[in-house]
Amino acid sequence: MTQTNGNHVGLAEIERQARLLAKENRQAEPAITKVYWFPDEHEVRLVEVDTTMPPSGDGLVHPFFFRPSPQDDLPSPSGVALISPEEDRRAELPEGWGSWEDARELESEG
Amino acid sequence: MSWRSAFLLQARSDFYARGVLNRQRVEYCHQLHYLQMASEKLAKGFLTAESSSQPPLLTHAAFVRCLQVMKGRPDVRRLLNFSSGRAFVEYVESLLPLAEQVQRLAPSYAGLRGPNPEYPWQSTAQGSVVAPAEFDFRQFEARSPQMNKLLRLMSDLLRVVS
Repeated sequence: MTQTNGNHVGLAEIERQARLLAKENRQAEPAITKVYWFPDEHEVRLVEVDTTMPPSGDGLVHPFFFRPSPQDDLPSPSGVALISPEEDRRAELPEGWGSWEDARELESEG
Repeated sequence: MSWRSAFLLQARSDFYARGVLNRQRVEYCHQLHYLQMASEKLAKGFLTAESSSQPPLLTHAAFVRCLQVMKGRPDVRRLLNFSSGRAFVEYVESLLPLAEQVQRLAPSYAGLRGPNPEYPWQSTAQGSVVAPAEFDFRQFEARSPQMNKLLRLMSDLLRVVS
């Protein structure tokens, strides 16, 4: 069922990629204390709380977007934002990402 | 052309212009100006989704934050030919202080009180007015290993995102 270029791949597959990216990001940056996943059927959307990160200054969450990379087991596009602890559940989310109530916190997987 | 592609294309062009200025031995401030602009546009390209019909939001600190996100990306790591995740993290982290200095070259950061490659400023210590064309920008020494490393990273990133 996996497709690329933002086509519908199913939420379970997106969640798998979200967990993979969350694990990679936590390994790269131990200061990430929380990872929020915003479910979407086309794109992996993560907001990560990083204790070393200063606030963005404009109250907005600014994700960086990456293309699908099937070679890296990431066949869907993704958007990842780093925020400061002060912005946790307060900063304004990008259009279309829903609200903080929609977020699912991805726990660390050892 | 998408906003993302346009920003990344302009980043490549800015970075190429920096190289031309370097080879022509034009005043260093101009080389730094193009480096700062290339880094800002590279980050803003990544701040824009491929499918977005809107330009990226104006934001500061995009370059450093972009590198901090990239250091946890297996796709970027592979494209830059790193087999070890730890080595890639250490490589990116070693460049963050210099990347932050480059980011702060933007006049919006420096204002007219601090060194920047574009506008004259007044030194707070001596009170004298300084022109960028005559300033040595010592902390950005062109031949330093760190600057070479940052230029290599920029070049590699601009190559793999094209």
